[in-house]
Amino acid sequence: MPFLADQVPVRVVDCGCVTPLGDAAKTCAALLRGERALQRIPVAGGEGGDRVPMAMLPGRALDETSPPAWGAVVKKLFAPVSGPAWGTARRPIFITSSNFGVGSLYAYRKTGDAGHLTYGTPFACADWLRREQGWGDNFSIFSHACVSSHLGLVQAARMVAAGLAEQALVVAFDFISPFVAGGFHALKILNADFPSPYMNRATGSIGLGDGAAYAVLAREGGDFKILGQSLHNEMYHFTANQPDGAGFDACLAPLAEKAKSQGLRLWLKGHGTGTLEAGRLESTRLAEAFPGAPLVGWKGSLGHTLGSCGLVELALAIAAFRAGRTPGTVGSATPTFAPAVALEPFSNREFDAVLCSSNAFGGAHAGLLLAHD
Amino acid sequence: MIERFIQIVKTDAPGAEEASATRERLKGGFPPGAARRMTQLGMLIGSVLGAMEPTAADAVVYLSEFGESRALESFLESFPGASPTLFQTSIHPSGVQQGLIGRQRSVPELFPFAGAGGIVGQALLAALLSPAQRVLFCGGEERGSRLRELGVASERTFAFALALTREAAPGVAGRLVLSPDDNVVSKLSLSEWFGILDQRRDYRGPLVDGFSLQLTWGPT
Repeated sequence: MPFLADQVPVRVVDCGCVTPLGDAAKTCAALLRGERALQRIPVAGGEGGDRVPMAMLPGRALDETSPPAWGAVVKKLFAPVSGPAWGTARRPIFITSSNFGVGSLYAYRKTGDAGHLTYGTPFACADWLRREQGWGDNFSIFSHACVSSHLGLVQAARMVAAGLAEQALVVAFDFISPFVAGGFHALKILNADFPSPYMNRATGSIGLGDGAAYAVLAREGGDFKILGQSLHNEMYHFTANQPDGAGFDACLAPLAEKAKSQGLRLWLKGHGTGTLEAGRLESTRLAEAFPGAPLVGWKGSLGHTLGSCGLVELALAIAAFRAGRTPGTVGSATPTFAPAVALEPFSNREFDAVLCSSNAFGGAHAGLLLAHD
Repeated sequence: MIERFIQIVKTDAPGAEEASATRERLKGGFPPGAARRMTQLGMLIGSVLGAMEPTAADAVVYLSEFGESRALESFLESFPGASPTLFQTSIHPSGVQQGLIGRQRSVPELFPFAGAGGIVGQALLAALLSPAQRVLFCGGEERGSRLRELGVASERTFAFALALTREAAPGVAGRLVLSPDDNVVSKLSLSEWFGILDQRRDYRGPLVDGFSLQLTWGPT
């Protein structure tokens, strides 16, 4: 039986994001200038602790508030897609995040303020967001660590392609808190160093960042088309990849085949958190699957926006196409794990498409091939 | 109308069973050493999913409103010396990953749903739209302790798994049919869904906005 959703092109008809550097266009411009949003901030917020690289929305403290201080920011971001027309049977919403409001549970434990519990579960947080935006209550919640937003994009595309939805709205958000900063600090990958994605150096490090984004998918409209999406889950280890890179290959192979069959000229927006082994595997397997395609990663500036990163960086990739220039891998330097890592901005006018990939705990991989008309 | 066949179904409703008792009851189904590090929900999901004998071609759809609430409780209590193990265990969808990692079983697609409301219907749509020939549809909850008292963890412990296929094979256990229905605006809850599976009850009614569900047991 042919599978309709992989055969009917689905288009991105609207897309936007917000980062500590501003909206998609402003963030892209700042990345092109090589700006770094990350700053060293105490890992436990107001309680102090080691200073680690984090990129916060302007004026937002790490400590969670009730209601969450980021609520106003996402309300403004999602304004173009607010109102009761969304969250219906034919216009479903896919709400994605890694953390949702779990930082509120940490805040409750610290302060005893029961108001924090209002946002403490994925459903409670998503339902609060829904009510704030005036959306209907037909929404799905995906939470799969750092590939969360990719799953929303896959399922939204399938619903649209199958004709079960006229349009689908995917939203993604993750805002850092002492809860998540403490977790990554405990894993020792969030340390005092700024991240240098794909750089072959002695010690790996990541940064964390605030981020939110949305995309509207439909069969018609817009000037960007999803050519394919791919997923793979290694289930090899919670926090490590298969040493031979087979998990990366399994995810990338169908997208590489599609790109090759269509003769696409690609650039690659990788995951690139700044950890060493994952960076080495990712950059070398991407180079193998897409020979000669320049690879960039932006978490050296923005930090890792966790479950939202796939959609935040998709919005930035679209902004880069609109600007005609792709930001380089801010924060990195030679030697890199692969020669295709682009450290400086480059013109993307001669490129047809971009591959956006993300990875997550459990050896989860996700890739999306996006073409510009 | 989208039709799938239930080839295998497995449920587990251990009531108020303590996590240690669950571990003792189910540990034989996991590789030596793996069970020691697993949570109650991880053991339960891993057990019912294990009965499906997952293959590298299967897609997995997993749903849980609260997920790893006990690991979350323990992680919160571990501050200021945050535990790295509890951090990774507390992150959704650890409940389904624990068993699959323990068995070193890769899967192409894993769709972990969280939340309430239309979670069953939305997850079934994901299962039925997957290109995989066989989809393992699983989920469950573990009864929380302190977070439950605060209303942010589950009251019940349960788990289920179904193996859904496009074609009926010998020994088929039942049949699912999703039909578009613009009149449907109500949602089948996870608790109701588990009751239907656990009691092998036929069901015909609303699933989620825009869709109704017909579930029948027995050979088709």
